Amino acid sequence: MTTLDVQDGKALLRLPGDINVAGSAELKQLLVQAFSTGKEVQLDLSTAATLDIAAIQLFWAAARHAEKTGTAFTVAGVVPEAILNGVREAGFEHFPVAIETEVVAQQTHDTDTITDRVE
Amino acid sequence: MKDHFKESFQEEARENLQELESALLMLNESSEDIELVSRAFRALHTIKGSGSMFGFDKVAAFTHHVETAFDEVRNGRLAATPDLIGLTLAAADQIESMLDEAAGKGEADVAVSAKILEELKKLTGELDTGPAHKSSPSGGNTAEFASGPVTDWIIRFQPRPEFMRTGSDPLLLIRDLGELGNLRTKADTSLIPGFDDLDPEQCYVSWEIELTTAAPQLDIRNVFIFVEDDCELIIEPSPASLESDDVAEAATRPGRGANSGRRGGEAGTQPGNIRVPAAKLDVLVGVVGQLVTLQARLGEIAARSEDRDLQTVAEEVEALIGELRENSMSMRTMPLRSTFERFTRLVFDLGRSLNKNVTLTFDGGETELDKSVIDQLNDPLMHLVRNSMDHGIEPAADRLAAGKPASANIQLSARHAGAQVLISVTDDGKGIDREAVRAKAVANGLISADARLSDSEVFALIMEPGFSTAREITDVSGRGVGMDVVKRNVEALRGSIEITSNPGLGSTVTLRLPLTLAIIDGLLVRVGDARFVMPLANTVECVELTQQDIDSANGNHLANIRGEIIAYVRLSEYLQTRTTRPDREHLMVTETEHGRFGIVVDQVLGDHQTVIKNLGRLYRNVHVISGATILGDGTVALILDLHRLVQSVIRNSSAEKREPGLVPHPSAVA
Repeated sequence: MTTLDVQDGKALLRLPGDINVAGSAELKQLLVQAFSTGKEVQLDLSTAATLDIAAIQLFWAAARHAEKTGTAFTVAGVVPEAILNGVREAGFEHFPVAIETEVVAQQTHDTDTITDRVE
Repeated sequence: MKDHFKESFQEEARENLQELESALLMLNESSEDIELVSRAFRALHTIKGSGSMFGFDKVAAFTHHVETAFDEVRNGRLAATPDLIGLTLAAADQIESMLDEAAGKGEADVAVSAKILEELKKLTGELDTGPAHKSSPSGGNTAEFASGPVTDWIIRFQPRPEFMRTGSDPLLLIRDLGELGNLRTKADTSLIPGFDDLDPEQCYVSWEIELTTAAPQLDIRNVFIFVEDDCELIIEPSPASLESDDVAEAATRPGRGANSGRRGGEAGTQPGNIRVPAAKLDVLVGVVGQLVTLQARLGEIAARSEDRDLQTVAEEVEALIGELRENSMSMRTMPLRSTFERFTRLVFDLGRSLNKNVTLTFDGGETELDKSVIDQLNDPLMHLVRNSMDHGIEPAADRLAAGKPASANIQLSARHAGAQVLISVTDDGKGIDREAVRAKAVANGLISADARLSDSEVFALIMEPGFSTAREITDVSGRGVGMDVVKRNVEALRGSIEITSNPGLGSTVTLRLPLTLAIIDGLLVRVGDARFVMPLANTVECVELTQQDIDSANGNHLANIRGEIIAYVRLSEYLQTRTTRPDREHLMVTETEHGRFGIVVDQVLGDHQTVIKNLGRLYRNVHVISGATILGDGTVALILDLHRLVQSVIRNSSAEKREPGLVPHPSAVA
């Protein structure tokens, strides 16, 4: 389940599993909330499995929005190889959101990330 | 196969080599840029693909290996190191000599090919990954997918907005396409709205996909079979891979092959452009030139006759021919950018061999110039860039010691100045050693030991035949054959050279060239019984020089034009023609690099479309005259080079001496 965790300095969005059109309306809502905090917004894709076009274009628009409003918007932590490959296959030259850590690893832990859901 | 197919291939391949080279050189600066890697790959891919199709098997086979290496780079398995870039540049050169060989010029050294491939293998060898190298060159990477000819397809795929609501995923379709062959996918993100307006469930992205496959078109269409009603879909063969007659047409078509639609903004590659051999344009301009001369005669006859109808027709013809002339001349002009960019490679190579770190920057690359001028500029510019690299730029250690950054800069710039174009090569090197030049000139007997020369006169000595101040002769330049050749070439184009230099800060060599070698707009003026043409681009206005002006200037050649004091010279006095001064004289205000200056003539006859004729070798030392033109009545008028005329007047008035007899009487030319 997608979660938004607002900490002192940043708003962290955790995106596990398949990120696709089914959850894209909800994802946009969470992004809007994250941006409205005025804090740095980070995506955690370390437990994500797949990304579809709906998600890619949403990130794409969000990244431009962040750029325009001067909000820091990055991907924190490890990005699974499958996710990066998907974006490349879709014909995007690079991941729509700047990736902070260079580390790219094939890792899928099913550790549960329980955080208070901010709704 | 007909020869012109091969010619088209040759032309296209060379263009792709240039594209490859420029991508590689930029990649050298930013080795992470995937778009540059793709550009290099596409260029190689196109050369390989059309090479094998047109029977250039050697070229195709060789290119295939280089392409394979770049495929690895594209896939992130190989880094675009300086070594790989250097090697690929060498490979590009080798491909070019293979093309030359195929065209019957010279011979490509097989040993060089082998060596390049061996080194490539060293770079890529450890990877030894599956899909990259296999199959024949013409088969590319896809030979195992199906039988039949391998074809490049272009697939344009635009899902409808509601595409994804029905559960279809464009990404899955793209993956399915990937099963058929080699994909190059490009997402078009231009329709994605702002974040606030974005409906997260709509699809805003569309795709252009290049697919290299042996599979038939039906197989491609079948991928989209379930979504055909929900998208716009165009599947067509890539223009570069059409067969037979269509091939030639495709190859000569402007937006072509893997590059189509990818890089706009370059002359000759935009859709809607057509390619015309330069020779045809030359013929066109030649005919227009004759037409202009003929029109001058018509105008002359019409003016003499009383026939009103004839006069009207003559005027209309004149206007139309003027338009025709402007259009045909503009067809021959080209931006200088591609000429400039060619030197990136030279600087890269020389930088390596001289062990100097130099960046080449451009300014004014959009400046347009007649193609025939551009063609003859390559050699002079090459000499100048080489000179800067070799003599101008110091070794890094010397630069650091002088408090300059270790990395040097050479700038190529161009800008318009009236009817002329100024092209400069500027370096931030050590500048020209004025005393060394002087001493050398004295030693060579070019000047006497006590000659007093201005800086620009000293620097001009560098361009004398047999002059070189380099202490050691390198293989780059310094054999003393450079600058005088440059000077000769530039003067053959009716241009001139100026050199400026600041010790320790660098030097600038500026070439001043006429915009065109063919036809200009001019003003026809009369002095005594001789007629002259002044280029309209340098002429600002024409006023009457009254006796009052002359009286109030106390014998100085100064006129007051609406409060502005303008120095002038009487053309008759400058040329030392014996004429009685007419009652009314006209002051032509000209604008040159030296500011505003007045030229006094007896009469202004009107504007004149001027077809420039060369004066021939006999008059090549007459600098203030840039050519001659034939008037409507068959007589000859000389074309004044206003820039040099004013320069010469200023110089003479400061030196108080005149070089007599520099200008021939017009009748001597005819």
